[in-house]
Amino acid sequence: MPFSAPFQRLAPAAIAALLCTAPAAAQMDHAPAQCVAPADLPAPMASWRNPVALKAAADGKGAARAMLTPGRTVSLALLPTPKVAYPVRPAKPGGSVSHGGLASFTVKEAGTWRVALGSGAWVDVISDGQAATSTAHGHGPDCSGIRKMVDYDLKPGRYTLQIAANGEDSLTLLVTRLP
Amino acid sequence: MKPLLLAAALLMLVAAGKPWRWDLPAGVDAPPVPADNPMSAAKVELGRRLFYDADLSADGTMACAACHEQKRGFADGNATRPGVHGDPGRRNVPGLANVGWLSPLTAADPSLTRLEDQALVPLLGTQPVEMGMTGRETELPRRLGADACYRTMFARAFPAEKGRIDTRTVTAALAAFQRTLIARDNPYDRFRRAEASIPAAAQQGLRLFDRHCAACHGGQDMTDLRYHGFEPAEARDPGLIEKTGRAADAGLFRTASLRNVAVTGPWWHDGSARSMTDAIRRHRLPISEDAMPPIAALLEQFTDVIFLTDPRFAMPDHACGKRL
Repeated sequence: MPFSAPFQRLAPAAIAALLCTAPAAAQMDHAPAQCVAPADLPAPMASWRNPVALKAAADGKGAARAMLTPGRTVSLALLPTPKVAYPVRPAKPGGSVSHGGLASFTVKEAGTWRVALGSGAWVDVISDGQAATSTAHGHGPDCSGIRKMVDYDLKPGRYTLQIAANGEDSLTLLVTRLP
Repeated sequence: MKPLLLAAALLMLVAAGKPWRWDLPAGVDAPPVPADNPMSAAKVELGRRLFYDADLSADGTMACAACHEQKRGFADGNATRPGVHGDPGRRNVPGLANVGWLSPLTAADPSLTRLEDQALVPLLGTQPVEMGMTGRETELPRRLGADACYRTMFARAFPAEKGRIDTRTVTAALAAFQRTLIARDNPYDRFRRAEASIPAAAQQGLRLFDRHCAACHGGQDMTDLRYHGFEPAEARDPGLIEKTGRAADAGLFRTASLRNVAVTGPWWHDGSARSMTDAIRRHRLPISEDAMPPIAALLEQFTDVIFLTDPRFAMPDHACGKRL
């Protein structure tokens, strides 16, 4: 199981709990830990506690205007699910009372890219009308606030990020390339 | 207008009355169906849509299918699953292959013998909270009734109830759909019917399985549906004693079906066995390490690929003639 250098600084047991390689759609969900203090964050997640605001788009066309900057955490304002037109139907679509939305990001350098979420929402990375296959999934360090992480091997290009089945109307989210 | 209404009502009656036809191999009887919830095509179609609808959870994030994934035999890839509010899960999600025959239905509650009743556990249960609908029961008719197609589907499925949408009709439809989750065509089934062979390693595994495992994992679904214990009871989940109060039931859990076992991991009642061999070892049987590969080879033969990919069980992409 490959890990980036910042993750190697974590205790082995903690690393083992974070990610596992598994088939794409097996997006792991994880009950939050009881915390007394926030956890230290690895370098790729350093911006996690300082999110900037961004509004999610309602359709694929609008997603081009909801640009995510790699390495920059956002607090993504989501829409009621019935108002979202997903380019690809999510494997686990949310109900009418849930929230979702679309955004986009640009991959300049091929490699392993991680989507980190503050909830257990469903996530898809879309290119050319197809959902990318994830390579690993797991949860962030306990007490980090990162509830879910999904990794993808991506080539350079523009990608649309689909968020589905989020309970709240906003979501802390980070897209970052692993070193 | 009146003739049109009459025609629509007639169509509805015809659809509701369409009998359910079981698709079963020769010699296999249909699963028991409660007299108060007869099968119909309309009810099964509705139950399938509901099974994949996250509006059955408090905040619209968790459908039955969130934990019961078809490609995993309708089990889950995690040890346990947190509920809709983040409460930790307690037990590993069981697969649903042939669940219509698997009564009692759950790991440690002998009172749950009907799928209609069992569906209330994830919907309304509080120990732990799963879908979190307790106290929100009126949300079901509000959310589902806002959808014209759902109103039509409930009317077709429950004509005697005049299409009422409530917890009872929702769970009745879910139960009808689950009774159709039938898996009787894995390589081992075909081997048993003398229709095909299985690899030599699996045949060796079968001899070991018959000697060490079949006393409990016997029968057509590889379960005796009885309660057994292999490890001391834990406070977090003491097993059958929780419902019976009998000290002798501490640490006992119902034998799991081995249908599709190779794709339903992790294993054990709490998902704490990370591999099938780990789960086998924890039975504390006199099985040597050399016996593990052939037994594992046999367990692989219990995977029913047709069941795992059958489009009749997948998330529907249309309802009432429209894309979902």
